[in-house]
Amino acid sequence: MKKMLFIISQPPYANTHNAELLEAAMVGAVFDGEVSILFRDDGVWGLLPNQHGDLIEQKTFSKILSALPTYEVERLFACSPSVADRDLSISHSPEIELLTLKQQIALIAAQDVVIGAQR
Amino acid sequence: MKYTLAIHGAPYASQSAQHGIAFAEALLRQAHTIERIFFFHEGVLQALSTPVAPQGEEDLLQKWQALSAQGVELAVCIASGIKRGVLSEEERARYEKTSNSLAEPFTLVGLGQLISAINEADRYIEFPA
Repeated sequence: MKKMLFIISQPPYANTHNAELLEAAMVGAVFDGEVSILFRDDGVWGLLPNQHGDLIEQKTFSKILSALPTYEVERLFACSPSVADRDLSISHSPEIELLTLKQQIALIAAQDVVIGAQR
Repeated sequence: MKYTLAIHGAPYASQSAQHGIAFAEALLRQAHTIERIFFFHEGVLQALSTPVAPQGEEDLLQKWQALSAQGVELAVCIASGIKRGVLSEEERARYEKTSNSLAEPFTLVGLGQLISAINEADRYIEFPA
């Protein structure tokens, strides 16, 4: 099975792409892929604590996130500069490792495939 | 080489399909193989039977059908598809809607078909909106 990295780079409630990508990541793990997820750019907004998707009649993104360890998706990363630029205090449940740009280059280089391209 | 492609954009709303189709045609001309083309996010709308091509633009559905005629599998994410109104006759009946909308020869499949196609292929290329 391949090493797959999913990159989440859009804000969590602007469209359904992030939730759809997480579904694909879970299926990747079910198929015994070695799945990692990297949150960067506006994707890091999805890591804020105390989200209430119900107030805008959407699924709460952080609840989908918290299901990831159940699917054995445990390699979760966030872009440190993206978090710092937005002055965010992100939730660390599930556990997320902050990476510099150099570390992200190494993470991407170590994959067989990267999923979640944006223009 | 064996390729898997993913289309993420709606028809006539971005260049996602035009780029994907041109890339797929070039692959076949150069004797590469295409494991599967997977339609995800708004890309599922490519599988609608109902869009009307704007005047002066090429009919994307005909282009997809021509690729299929060359043996390329066109697979639509069922979870992304049905909520956006892309319904096979089977799904139309299941959800008791008045009309189906899935064009021939697209099929509605699970996300497992994306993962397995990525696994089988040497290269996976996305065409975002």
